[in-house]
Amino acid sequence: MTDLFSNLWLGFSIAAQPYNLGFCLLGAFVGTLVGVLPGIGTVATVAMLLPITFGLPPVGALIMLAGIYYGAQYGGSTTSILVNIPGEATSVVTCLDGHQMARQGRAGAALSIAAIGSFIAGCVSTVLVAALGVPLTSIALLFGPAEYFSLMVLGLIFAVVLAKGSVPKAIAMIVLGLLLSMIGSDLETGAGRMTFDIPELSDGIGFTNVAMGLFGFAEIIRNLEMSQESRDIVKGKIKGLMPTRQDLKDSAGPIARGTILGSILGILPGGGAVVASFAAYTFEKRISRHPERFGRGAIQGVAAPESANNAAAQTSFIPLLTLGIPPNAVMALMVGAMTIHGIVPGPQVMTKQPELFWGMIASMWLGNLMLIIINLPLVGLWVSLLRVPYRLLFPSIIVFCCIGIYSINNSPTDVVIAAVFGLFGYWLVKHDFEPAPLVLAFVLGPLMEENLRRAMLIARGDPTVFVTRPISAGLILISVALLAIAMLPMIRKRRDEVFVE
Amino acid sequence: MSEGAKTSPHRGGFRFKVRGPRDFYGGLALIALAIIALLASGDLPGQQGFAFGPGTAPRMFATLLAVIGAVVALTGLFVDGEPIGHFALRGPAYVVVAILLFALTIRGFTLGSLRLPPLGLVPSTFIAFIVSIMGSSEMRWIESLIAAVAMTIFCVLLFVYLLQLPFQLWPWV
Repeated sequence: MTDLFSNLWLGFSIAAQPYNLGFCLLGAFVGTLVGVLPGIGTVATVAMLLPITFGLPPVGALIMLAGIYYGAQYGGSTTSILVNIPGEATSVVTCLDGHQMARQGRAGAALSIAAIGSFIAGCVSTVLVAALGVPLTSIALLFGPAEYFSLMVLGLIFAVVLAKGSVPKAIAMIVLGLLLSMIGSDLETGAGRMTFDIPELSDGIGFTNVAMGLFGFAEIIRNLEMSQESRDIVKGKIKGLMPTRQDLKDSAGPIARGTILGSILGILPGGGAVVASFAAYTFEKRISRHPERFGRGAIQGVAAPESANNAAAQTSFIPLLTLGIPPNAVMALMVGAMTIHGIVPGPQVMTKQPELFWGMIASMWLGNLMLIIINLPLVGLWVSLLRVPYRLLFPSIIVFCCIGIYSINNSPTDVVIAAVFGLFGYWLVKHDFEPAPLVLAFVLGPLMEENLRRAMLIARGDPTVFVTRPISAGLILISVALLAIAMLPMIRKRRDEVFVE
Repeated sequence: MSEGAKTSPHRGGFRFKVRGPRDFYGGLALIALAIIALLASGDLPGQQGFAFGPGTAPRMFATLLAVIGAVVALTGLFVDGEPIGHFALRGPAYVVVAILLFALTIRGFTLGSLRLPPLGLVPSTFIAFIVSIMGSSEMRWIESLIAAVAMTIFCVLLFVYLLQLPFQLWPWV
């Protein structure tokens, strides 16, 4: 316990350095700024803003990225409440009651409850991340290549189970992502693989190009199809930011339950934050004495999912920081950012670079505090940003993405690759394929192949090693069970219901 | 959902009706991608002793992709699904052309005797903005030009002055 506090103390002394504090604030601010824009989700925001952190020192860059992540998430909620266009999947639920509250003239209360709920959830889950970090890291030391491979299989299966739509299609996206990650030089022999003799492909496809293409460009192309001028922005000045005493009393329970649910679901690999907000909303509705109020502006319907998705966003750092395995697409982008700064995510980060590990954890809490500080007074700014017509917004986003991609390697080819993935992403959407599992698999690919090859080599070519070593066998067993459950018709129906609501 | 099959567009030339075109053609495309991957990794050395060669894993996953693609395509053949949505042309075309123009002009290019010198960040940004905004059906010229200038200035300030990234700004520097 004293260790925990001395570690957190170290973290806060790093995070509170004026520079890092500045990066955290800047990250939360630009994250919200971009996250507020309708139709741009968290993944797209983080992908877009990634290049601007490359010039910073590693600790500063990761702190800023974490700030961008929370900012983007909170920005998405603001858009849901004010415009009824969810910026992303996690804030779909917030739309239901948040926008109704806004229409009843209670936008201020909805926004501040979302911020307060997120902050409380953030405080609890920060402590949780710090407390679980050390024990989980010691588990990681028991892991050999076979266990790592099986763990990544489990993570990818989670992504399949949590993706909406058909299970075979989600698996197809995973396999395609793994295949795409194998383009470029072979890890062991250096032989060029599937490069079609294009020199630019010999280093492989950059993950930022894939992410920006699939989440940035594809999203814009798709949005262009819809008429954008029929937005339902809350008119008039937003007044009465402070929630009433009754509001606070009504929200206390939902915030607490949302935080617990979100913290647990966030640790699970495969996209915790989305499921967390859905689960928290459904749970509140079920235990409420007045379920009929949900969907008509119940403050509980804002407090619970907002707390849950923020808690989940926070705890999803646990698998990344301790095991080096990204549990969702945003964390996959974080891995990319860490790699660019020469940090290999995994258990060794905590022992070799404690200032980075604990600094980042402390900055999570500071980031949440900053969200409250910057968001409530700046609501007016976000509202005016929402009034910018989409026809001017989308070219700005395209230009920004182009410069961002180009600046990573000064490579025009990267920009072209992103454009190709943009078109591919548009095609995927038209055929009901989800891009998120693809990106996750793309990032896990090299790590997975390396561990697969190493495990097979150590086992002298015997593939049963994955089921004879106990930890690995357990992980594989859970994966198979999850997959079987997801395929069961009854559960499938329930799963579809959750996503439809 | 049995109504869905009747209203879905008939595709002449097929002996049997495709019930879920999204799945069917999606699955076929996956199989095509898998075949391309198999061809591209065909010349790589495979397993040697206990060690995987560079070609083993790509071939393994490409085969897996082909199998899953077949499952998805077969699902589309036998299970009713929605028709493929309309693919817009105008928006995607302008957006992609804008991105490609940015890529071509920022560093310049040489293609045979055709040679374009690098234009630099300012013209490239401006061109990409104007071309992509033409993809919108609600585009207005004056407003667009003002926005393009504003965005160009913003990007130069952010990337060049604030982030200190090395960019050539104009064609003549």
